[in-house]
Amino acid sequence: MINKVLNHLEELLVTFLMGAATLIIFVSVMHRYLAGVEIPGLQDWLLSLNFSWAQELCIIMFVWMAKFGAAYGVRTGIHVGVDVLINRLSDRFRGKFIIFGLLAGALFTGIVGALGATFVWDNGAHYAIFNFLGVHGEDLYEGPTTPDLEWPTWMVYSAIPLGSSLMCFRFLQVAWGFSKTGELPHHDHGHVEGLEEEDGLAVDVDVYGMGDNLHMHDLKHEQFGERRSGDDRREDGDLSSDSDRRHGQRRNSDEKQGGQQ
Amino acid sequence: MNAVVIFGLLAILMLTGMPISISLGLTVLTFLFTMTQVPLESVALKLFTGIEKFEIMAIPFFILAGNFLTHGGVAKRMINFATSMVGHWYGGLGLAGVVACALFAAVSGSSPATVVAIGSILLPAMVKAGFPKKFGAGVISTSGALGILIPPSIVMVMYSVATNTSVGALFMAGVVPGIALALTLGGVTWYRARKYDYPRQPKATWGERWKAFRASVWGLLLIVVVMGGIYTGIFTPTEAAAMSAVYAFICAVFIYRDLGLKDVPKVLLNSANMSAMLLYIITNAVLFSFIMTNENIPQALADWMLGHGLGLITFLLAVNVILLLAGNFMEPSSIVLIFAPILFPVAVKLGIHPVHFGILMVVNMEVGMCHPPVGLNLYVASGITKMGITELTVAVWPWLLSMLCFLMLVTYWPSLSLWLPQQLGML
Repeated sequence: MINKVLNHLEELLVTFLMGAATLIIFVSVMHRYLAGVEIPGLQDWLLSLNFSWAQELCIIMFVWMAKFGAAYGVRTGIHVGVDVLINRLSDRFRGKFIIFGLLAGALFTGIVGALGATFVWDNGAHYAIFNFLGVHGEDLYEGPTTPDLEWPTWMVYSAIPLGSSLMCFRFLQVAWGFSKTGELPHHDHGHVEGLEEEDGLAVDVDVYGMGDNLHMHDLKHEQFGERRSGDDRREDGDLSSDSDRRHGQRRNSDEKQGGQQ
Repeated sequence: MNAVVIFGLLAILMLTGMPISISLGLTVLTFLFTMTQVPLESVALKLFTGIEKFEIMAIPFFILAGNFLTHGGVAKRMINFATSMVGHWYGGLGLAGVVACALFAAVSGSSPATVVAIGSILLPAMVKAGFPKKFGAGVISTSGALGILIPPSIVMVMYSVATNTSVGALFMAGVVPGIALALTLGGVTWYRARKYDYPRQPKATWGERWKAFRASVWGLLLIVVVMGGIYTGIFTPTEAAAMSAVYAFICAVFIYRDLGLKDVPKVLLNSANMSAMLLYIITNAVLFSFIMTNENIPQALADWMLGHGLGLITFLLAVNVILLLAGNFMEPSSIVLIFAPILFPVAVKLGIHPVHFGILMVVNMEVGMCHPPVGLNLYVASGITKMGITELTVAVWPWLLSMLCFLMLVTYWPSLSLWLPQQLGML
């Protein structure tokens, strides 16, 4: 339940940041050029607006999007790796490497989260929170502010501890799920939206989510386009286009399910 | 010594199959904890400031624009236009595929996206028209690679981030090689189609061509917005990317109507997901190149190479070999982010122009996208055609071979890339 709320919040935040940042830059560019056009009334009003903060806000929004999007990416399994080698291993060994990789991810993001939290705490969060609570620390550092928006940097930088901790949680979640079911999240976004059937075949629009060697192949799904692992190859004998076609269809039905989720 | 430890650790971590961003980050952390006195807090700061550049923000915008455009409408009309222009020659639809890929590449910055957009519409049509599946898949998977050479290009933005080269100049430098590569691929298509006598389309009248052009003009205008905007200085590359995202949104939702407003959040989320993945690699790659610079590794490498009398020709050959090998394991963005900071100082010392070096890397990445085990274009094409990877590898070889020849041309003929930006006064 809590997990579901968290998932939704994460998706909402990331979607909003992406859309809003685009709009902000669009509006600020439009403003820059329209303010130069002489339309009585409108020009004065446009000139009175100040968009010098747009770039800074866009950067901040995208950094937040990057941190939380990376956590979302763990859940959707989009992060690319060098998986040529381990995808050729037998299921048992591959499973161990997958767990190792996920735990390493959790370790790294955990450390970064802790480092980031210390940094944010020392650079203003401590001061701000104590001030807010009415406790007066003797020599607490107030921390710098951003150049254009004049927001306290600790608020802006708190994307690192928050995002990294969430990502750490996601890695652990995926590792837990994998050890239970042998399944990794697959990045299935189903069909290209808006593309009618008659125009073409169903395509996975997300190019990084295919069964390539940039992602770890889990123990449940048949991979798309390529034989899956050592075990598989021995069973199938030589790679025939027939078996590939079968993989393709299997994947296709997977996609349809994915699209409905 | 330190260099060996750093790279050894990175290689081992990467080969365990963990995400590239995590292996980069863990290498950096291990190094910092055990071997240097660089304060750890500065690392946490670097994690934020590493991507705090406005130039980098072009990446999410271009991805967003690309995702709006992949939804059929623009690609379909570009294919119709291309077919009406070149469909009656040998190779008919195949040739049209090359042209459509080149046109779509000029509005999209990613090469697998180009394969998805053009391939999902054109490949079924080609099979229906009587082309062998192999031929179509070969043409589209290789022509799709034009996506990262013809501007805008996400890989070029990555290169400019890694080496501080001007994005605008890189984009302009990609135009002539992009057209040249399109001609090369078109030539191979034409030759093979003539040899095997593949079907041709009826010749379109000028009236039909004009109609097809009118239909596709909204998509084509995007080329003017991005390239014209950057060239005339109306927009910075990042602003141009944001404008193209908004324009692509209007195109897809209001003009061609192949997307409903209710689909927009999903497109935003997908784009954010992929951008975040790339930005996360950038963040960690910035950290990685920070400690490399701190340890003076690129400089040491440059001195070592020059000390051994390594000439320009050998160096460029070595670069090509290294990048082609790396293309067997990693996807383009990671390769550029890891290798560019190492190779760039050497290249500069040898007097290679940064922009030329960038184009060289991009063409290398293109080749890497078209062959297994990690060639994304092939996997996309395999998704569309349901052909196996092995089968596809055989299918693409004539085009891949011509691409390798083209790579040699780009490597040893700098003016091909540098002429246009020089004429425009951007260098």
